[in-house]
Amino acid sequence: MRTHATIVLATLSVVAAAGVPGTAAAQPAGRVTGTVKVIEPDGKIAESPDVIVYVVGFVEPPTDTVTTVAQKGRKFVPDLVAITVNERVAFPNYDPFLHNVFSQSGTRKFDLGSYPRGDSKDKQFPQSGVVDVYCNIHPEMAATILVLPNRRHSRVDADGRFTLPGVPPGDWTVFAYTRRATKPTSAKVTVKPNTETTIALELVRGAEPAHLNKYGEKYQDGRVYP
Amino acid sequence: MRTALAFLIVACLGQRTAQAGRSFYGWLYGTEVMPERGVELQTWIVEQNDKYGSGGRDSSLWWGPLIGITDRLELALPIELEWTRTEGAETTKTSFTFRRFGIEARYRLASADPAEAPAFVPLIRLAAKRDVSVRDDLRLEGDLVASYEVGPVHALLDVGFVSDLQPHRSHNELRPGAGLSIRLASGLRFGGEVYSELAFDSQSQSWAAAGPNLAWTHGRFWFSGAFGIGIYHVKLAPRFMWGIAF
Repeated sequence: MRTHATIVLATLSVVAAAGVPGTAAAQPAGRVTGTVKVIEPDGKIAESPDVIVYVVGFVEPPTDTVTTVAQKGRKFVPDLVAITVNERVAFPNYDPFLHNVFSQSGTRKFDLGSYPRGDSKDKQFPQSGVVDVYCNIHPEMAATILVLPNRRHSRVDADGRFTLPGVPPGDWTVFAYTRRATKPTSAKVTVKPNTETTIALELVRGAEPAHLNKYGEKYQDGRVYP
Repeated sequence: MRTALAFLIVACLGQRTAQAGRSFYGWLYGTEVMPERGVELQTWIVEQNDKYGSGGRDSSLWWGPLIGITDRLELALPIELEWTRTEGAETTKTSFTFRRFGIEARYRLASADPAEAPAFVPLIRLAAKRDVSVRDDLRLEGDLVASYEVGPVHALLDVGFVSDLQPHRSHNELRPGAGLSIRLASGLRFGGEVYSELAFDSQSQSWAAAGPNLAWTHGRFWFSGAFGIGIYHVKLAPRFMWGIAF
């Protein structure tokens, strides 16, 4: 299985098991800003990389937001999202054919069955970790859901910059995650009230990890995808 | 220490959803159902040897597709074949018949999602079948099934009834059973169960059996079975079933 996902899962699990206090601190929050550079397998710097940056070390309650991962043109759109523990993700099908969304990730196993265009199903994610999502009918479809212990996560912009506002004062670890990353990247930060902390992170991308169908077998064409 | 504990928690939670097959039992209906638009072919082999001390042997085969209508409701379209050997005073008669066909529905009264499902899961099963050789016979079947899962242990109670409705007579049976199944490894379970068929009329006799059960899953294939040893009016009553999902 993917090394990065396993390490991130372990990190998030440690945070959850440790029962780290939440953000109830009375002190004003600070913020973390910075840049993330993504190196492609050929050594070039990725343009407009799809990266999520998040902080671990404390927990926050979820929002009522339902994040959408659409099935459109035989792709999951977007193919990387971050949510807070106990939030929901909806999987609407906009394609004129059936899809069967499933996950065999230890963090959250589910099988939505097959449903046609216009239908949507959603799932709640009660445990932090990385959830890899696939379609049992179309093996080229893949997405990742980061289930995080707090709401301090953000997607980097086209220039690779990010801002994480509302981070409580304290010593935390900031992670950057992109699909196909070969190993995790993180930085320790000390956040002070009303202060901006700046960091720079770098990720190296590899190949898309192989996956099997929902029965743990090769797909119908006998292949392991991608 | 906390890291080790966290890994243990993750490992245990991961195993919770690794279930062996859609039924963990031989004689008892399970509480798992197909996902929406899922299709599975199921086969059962049932034997009852020396029933009522007559020396006779019955073997029947249940075969049919199951279709997931929603994530909680599945339909089955079974056909039943039956082979019977009757011991007479001087001769032994055997027969092999296409016995029944019909339709049955199984509705799970709780989420089928492994993360959302409660430990206690009830299921209702209703079936209507036509007897091929006795055209006027309509068989109605029903089951109230309840399972409770805690850690590797899965307990199940199944209270079924069968009613054969004919113009001039009817036959009713209560079919209670209970079982326990323990996960030994991912995809492999072992336990025991007790099952009985209790006739309400004098024309039929009741019987009961108990024995070990085994369930195994490999990818889209699953198998489960119970080796029933007679405790009342039957000598052996093994029942095995398997399914393959598409």
